[in-house]
Amino acid sequence: MGFDLAMPDLAMPEAATPNPAVTVSADSAETPDTLESFVSAANEGYKYGFVTDIEADEAEPGLTEDTVRFISAKKGEPEWLLSWRLKAFQRWQQMSDPQWAKLKIAPIDFQGACYYSAPKQNAGPKSLDEVDPELLKTYEKLGIPLGERAALAGVAVDAVFDSVSVATTYKEKLGELGIIFCSFGEAVREHGDLVRKYLGSVVPQGDNFFAALNSAVFSDGSFVYVPPGVRCPMELSTYFRINAAKTGQFERTLLIADKGSHVSYLEGCTAPQRDENQLHAAVVELIALEDAEIKYSTVQNWYPGDAEGRGGIYNFVTKRGACRGDRAKISWAQVETGSAITWKYPSCLLEGDHSVGAFYSVAITNNRQQADTGTKMIHIGRNTSSTVISKGISAGRGQNTYRGQIKVMPKAEDARNFTQCDSLLIGKSCGAHTVPYIDVRNPTARVEHEATTSKISEDQMFYCQQRGLPQEDALSLIVNGFCKEVLKELPMEFAVEAQKLLAVSLEGSVG
Amino acid sequence: MTISEQVAPFVRAFRTAPGISDEPEWLCAHRDASIRHFAATGFPTRSAESWRFTDLRPLTASPILPAPDAVPNASERALADPPPSDPPPSELSVPTHRIILVNGRFIPRLSRIGALPPGVWLGSTADTVKARPGLIAAAFDASEIVGSQPFAALNAAFFADGFVLALEPGAVLETPIEVIHLGRTDTPVAFHLRNAIIAGSGSRATVIESTEGSGPGWTNAVTAITVDADASLRHIRIQNDGSEAIHTALTRATLARGARYENFALTLGARLSRQDIQVALSGEGASVALNGAYLLRGEQEATFAPHVDHQAPGCRTDEVLKGVMQDHAHGVFLGTIAVRPGADQTDARQLNRNLLLSPWAHVDTKPELEILADDVKCSHGATVGSLDEAALFYLQARGLDETTARHMLIEAFAADVIDTAALGDILSAPLRRHLRDWLGQVGGAA
Amino acid sequence: MSNLLEIHDLRARTLGGRDILKGINLTIAPGEVHAIMGPNGAGKSTLSSVLAGKPGYEVTGGSVLYQGRDLLALPADARAREGIFLAFQYPVEIPGVNNTYFLRAALNAGRRHRGEPELDAAQFLKAVKEKLKLLDISSDLLQRPVNVGFSGGEKKRNEIFQMAMLEPRLAVLDETDSGLDIDALRVVSNGVNRLRDPQRAIVMITHYQRLLDYIVPDHVHVLSDGRIVASGDKTLAATLEQTGYAHLDSAAA
Repeated sequence: MGFDLAMPDLAMPEAATPNPAVTVSADSAETPDTLESFVSAANEGYKYGFVTDIEADEAEPGLTEDTVRFISAKKGEPEWLLSWRLKAFQRWQQMSDPQWAKLKIAPIDFQGACYYSAPKQNAGPKSLDEVDPELLKTYEKLGIPLGERAALAGVAVDAVFDSVSVATTYKEKLGELGIIFCSFGEAVREHGDLVRKYLGSVVPQGDNFFAALNSAVFSDGSFVYVPPGVRCPMELSTYFRINAAKTGQFERTLLIADKGSHVSYLEGCTAPQRDENQLHAAVVELIALEDAEIKYSTVQNWYPGDAEGRGGIYNFVTKRGACRGDRAKISWAQVETGSAITWKYPSCLLEGDHSVGAFYSVAITNNRQQADTGTKMIHIGRNTSSTVISKGISAGRGQNTYRGQIKVMPKAEDARNFTQCDSLLIGKSCGAHTVPYIDVRNPTARVEHEATTSKISEDQMFYCQQRGLPQEDALSLIVNGFCKEVLKELPMEFAVEAQKLLAVSLEGSVG
Repeated sequence: MTISEQVAPFVRAFRTAPGISDEPEWLCAHRDASIRHFAATGFPTRSAESWRFTDLRPLTASPILPAPDAVPNASERALADPPPSDPPPSELSVPTHRIILVNGRFIPRLSRIGALPPGVWLGSTADTVKARPGLIAAAFDASEIVGSQPFAALNAAFFADGFVLALEPGAVLETPIEVIHLGRTDTPVAFHLRNAIIAGSGSRATVIESTEGSGPGWTNAVTAITVDADASLRHIRIQNDGSEAIHTALTRATLARGARYENFALTLGARLSRQDIQVALSGEGASVALNGAYLLRGEQEATFAPHVDHQAPGCRTDEVLKGVMQDHAHGVFLGTIAVRPGADQTDARQLNRNLLLSPWAHVDTKPELEILADDVKCSHGATVGSLDEAALFYLQARGLDETTARHMLIEAFAADVIDTAALGDILSAPLRRHLRDWLGQVGGAA
Repeated sequence: MSNLLEIHDLRARTLGGRDILKGINLTIAPGEVHAIMGPNGAGKSTLSSVLAGKPGYEVTGGSVLYQGRDLLALPADARAREGIFLAFQYPVEIPGVNNTYFLRAALNAGRRHRGEPELDAAQFLKAVKEKLKLLDISSDLLQRPVNVGFSGGEKKRNEIFQMAMLEPRLAVLDETDSGLDIDALRVVSNGVNRLRDPQRAIVMITHYQRLLDYIVPDHVHVLSDGRIVASGDKTLAATLEQTGYAHLDSAAA
């Protein structure tokens, strides 16, 4: 391709999932208040990750070529994948973690982390009685069924919630249509050719620091292939493979929609997941061939840390989709309410003529959360079009940044983009930032960007209260109204839960 | 090239420049600190976020040192090329106070400063250093910050001249001030202009600056502006340098309570140009209007980088910048509006619209908002597009040829921002004239 | 029957501002319709805001008893659930929030408060249809976001429709006639008249006598400079029409 995808200052990584422990070097002179908590949370991670004698199922802490070889060997991978990982590792060694986002991040000690740990049956709480009551209260508010609450809280799932059999049922039904939906590891074993053909074809190993790290040490993830002309009859969801989700903080997702096919994929769940891992660096690659359509929806509600900013997930995600054929369509929808730090830019490479990209996002930061999120729409083919709708909500001491790039390449005749990003501020101590990059190299393009920043008006709150709605309900109603254009892009059942989630996320931000 | 290789010629030029020692001690010290600062940083690189879109190679490939006649204390006699015998024509149709600078030096023979009302100082920077050093010191206090950008540091080290306008509280200057800089050189040399405008509380003035010339000169201007309580300043800058020229300009304005600053920047000339405007709204109820247009063609590259900092409550920003890119031109807009905690009732709008008129033209636009207060109304917008085909057809269907129809639409696009600025007929006239001249030169190419 | 609302010597001002209400006394029984008239700046809208609990005002003296309880101690939403309805002079737009959804949330908040079962979507729609019919209002406003893009007349009709749905004990109509043409005024007035009920009191705040031709009040009060300076029956309004407010101002002074 004739341009640099990495775009040095705007490499915009993306990715999200769990695994071993990460420590943080405490030698920084100006120690952010999150640092201590970060270290202690990481130490807790050690508690789960290691026993006094290092078991054979765990890699030595630290990241060397041997670690990569160890992981690959443990997973019984073919030679090509090992060398792919090693190449990524070499690239990663030459990179440094990017500094351009508007995020305050305690330095991360990548050599202190453990990069492979087999899922442990006895690592989590043994029953709901051992789970943090606050977490359970949230599940109740969200209306999560009892059985699922245990699963989400990390209680050994099989005993309570038979996700395996559920997944199996669907798998058979999908199999009849030729749809492959399995763990990444299984895909490597069973569908190696497909994986080899597409892995890294959208997010190359050296794309950015976190993508390179993921490429070297990714643990597992999901694989989807939809054959030509097939319309996937149901929403595919990671929900059905809760066990698999526990396999790693370096998750890898690869989704291929062959010609004329159609698939909707749901990622994450609406309840906060118990997770002792601090750093998540996942990679998601989507490939839509001619006339194919992919809709990828995410509700991210990782642990955001407490009100003082202690703990919480660092979420660095590289998500990118390629519209690789004419009239292909990729649509990202995300509701980001969790994580202490969110850093993700689900993007579209609009390569095919008449291909279409969309990004719909709601991001909430409350308490001390920080989010730097947005998208890249790269117009390469003719008559490509993209739509970006972003709604950022800042409350408490939260900092919310929209960062997006619209790039129209010289050959992208008649490209169209419309971007709207609105920010809502709740309270005096939060921040809302809008950083759009528009780069146009073709005169037939039409690119429009609009943004507004406002607060919730007292008049709106009073109007709702005068009609009898309690303050928190009024706030939730107004915020949901603010996000409506995005929420309507989510699959129906997801949207309902997302609405509740918005309300829960904003608790304590008024009054 | 390493930084030390890059900066060495400048440091050498500074050490050997004549006459600097004649200046007040604080100014010498300031120059010395500035060249040290530049020596440490070198020129900006594209790895810095605010410089990543700008290709500075024409400027940095080989050192462009100050013109021999444009160093402190060089006399008019030392000019390599004698200045023109006739003063350049006025931009305005009304009488003005005129300051003419040639190759970075004030030329009294061509200038004409009329009778000034009481409480108004207007003079060249070199004269002001001698006659009213306090004014210069005040301007430095307001504008100089350690860690300032490299071009400003280089300017501080080398500047020889410029203009200074100071209005005491309540002084009202009805007659516009016209400052014209002519750059004429056959060799690549630098003209470091240092200007200051100090508007005391309740004062009022209008300044129209223009630059033009020929040859590969580099004009590097720094203008420090303070607008005190309830004062009002109109400031128009027309950059019409020659096609080989390089132009960098930094304008820093600090506005006190109820102050008003209106800036209009028209960018037409120079192969490489960059205009930074940094406005601090530090007093309650201050307001700023930043309007302008950049009309680019050939291989021109121009960056317009306004930064408005809302530090106090109840302030207002209105910003509209329009770009027209022809041929291989590259236009860059880097706008930031920042709202600090406590700057409630901020009302800020930022709009950047661009017309791309050729398959090789290129635009980057980055309108940025940074909001840390909750009771604000902020919006920004950016558009990139080409001429409306339907409108073009409509005009042609009424009998206009394509070139005329295109001109009409481009002119309408750009003239719109002149209307928005609401500067009045007298000040709008030269802007419209330049716009029409530009259209006349580009022809009707698609 | 005991009084629904008793206002004693009520004094209030905007936060940090000057006094606007300077000792209001007013008693309202169920079933009554009161009109409060007065010139601009007399304090009419302040009175309605204070009764509804709008932020930005502070009560500096006096008391308000609603159904025998201290109204001023309740937050705005609790007052609404207790049956106080304010028809806003300028209903605010709430983008993205569907009008029907909003109303159902409000209605059910009130029902929960009273210990009544919430209405499901079908029951709610049935109720909506009945009220639309009663008020002779078309349903075109229901699917739009709350007040967004409504004309002045549509906003006022929507307010009266909400009143009909929420069935308040005490409705305060703040300048509901302002900005309405004669046809819209008729529709709105007919709606209000149909909502007259022995259990419900209505307070109309208006600058003009015109509204009172359509909704005939039991009592008319004149508010001037923060006090009620005259009270009477509907003939007082007619007198005002002829003599104007200036006359009353001087009488009060």
